[in-house]
Amino acid sequence: MSNPKSLADPLAAVRQPVATANGLPNAHYTDPGVFSEETDALLKTTWAGLAVASDVPEPGDAVPLTFLGMPLLLLRDKAGTVRVFNNVCRHRGMILVEEPRKIEGAIRCPYHSWCYATDGRLVTTPHVGGPGQNTDPDIDRATLGLIEVRSHIWHDIVFINISGDAPAFEDQHAALLSRWDAFDQPHIHGGADSRFTLDVATNWKLAVENYCESYHLPWVHPGLNSYSRLEDHYNIVAPEHFSGQGTRVYRQLTSEDGTTFPDFTNLPAFWDHGAEYVALYPNVLLGAQRDHAFVILLEPLAHNQTREHVHLYYAAQNTDDTLRATNATQWKQVFEEDIFVVEGMQRGRSAPHFDGGRFSPAMDAPTHCFHDWVAARLQTHRDQ
Amino acid sequence: MSGLEARLLAAHSEGEKQALVTLYEEAATAAKTPEAQGFFLTQAYVYALETGHPKAADLHLRLKASGREA
Repeated sequence: MSNPKSLADPLAAVRQPVATANGLPNAHYTDPGVFSEETDALLKTTWAGLAVASDVPEPGDAVPLTFLGMPLLLLRDKAGTVRVFNNVCRHRGMILVEEPRKIEGAIRCPYHSWCYATDGRLVTTPHVGGPGQNTDPDIDRATLGLIEVRSHIWHDIVFINISGDAPAFEDQHAALLSRWDAFDQPHIHGGADSRFTLDVATNWKLAVENYCESYHLPWVHPGLNSYSRLEDHYNIVAPEHFSGQGTRVYRQLTSEDGTTFPDFTNLPAFWDHGAEYVALYPNVLLGAQRDHAFVILLEPLAHNQTREHVHLYYAAQNTDDTLRATNATQWKQVFEEDIFVVEGMQRGRSAPHFDGGRFSPAMDAPTHCFHDWVAARLQTHRDQ
Repeated sequence: MSGLEARLLAAHSEGEKQALVTLYEEAATAAKTPEAQGFFLTQAYVYALETGHPKAADLHLRLKASGREA
């Protein structure tokens, strides 16, 4: 039977304490209109994970991306700074870069050849004043550089704030930065064998919801649970910022000859056996362990389609090739084990009388924390 | 079609942008009017900028000296 509160005011029902709250109603997973609304309220006004800086390792490297329908250009400029621009010319709005490539000199628009430096400056406007005349009094190059999207890099992750008015990243996420400050050291991307994508027929929020609780581990990941039992886990709840779960029993991957990955340096003793897995709102899933880290960037493609971009990081260059490949394979297996769950919950959201469901007060606090954040931001957005 | 024109079309067709720099500069040298010279120098400059060609700075100076570039 449906909870009467959930029918009267669904968002208010979500914002109840975990013991009595309902989850977000079906429309938040099945309605393209709500998806669009949530895109504005949850993804464009916050610090969303876009890509990793390792995608553009050298100056001049450029990668065009489409994120939330927006054409963007991830670029490492000649000075080495990673930037995100609108991937369009300021003249007629033509797409500038179609494929990942190295910008040798300037970015030339393929339409009328307006050229931009890799730091976004408009450097020439050929024939703009007539044939052979490259200036015009009304075309002020200083005001017509590429439109840059506010970005911030943390642990190689490129976060963007589309609206441009979110609090500074360091302020917005001070709690997690402090919690994991021991990991403020180089994170070395494992390379081509340490990245993969998963296309999942689900709303991006379900990937967050599943990731941040340990309740499902014994059933969905029996391999993990064999050494990291449910009772070894604890909830992590930081309202309005992040939630997830930790374990007190992290076991390093070890090869037959005893090889392990090198540890991050000078970690507190907790990390000898501990590990934490956190969803940093809105769309970044993180794993922190003594010898490697990973990030899953959730790319919302539609209300019922998400692409998961997975990257693994190490504390040092030149880690053991076989061990690194094994690690990537094992994590991929774990993440693939979650697919039937998030796709099943997505299909379940078409059940006509489903009321958002209920939460286990003991086990689902991290998931409810995320729902509460979604509901609060959405309500604020609707009230504006 | 002149030999230069044919070489320009071939370079465009093959996407040989470094070659376009020198070919358009050659066209500028052969141009009969200041306007035509400005046009071809601009073409050379754009491809020099795009490719990071070492002639970009010189082409810029020439265009700027003739009031065609900022």
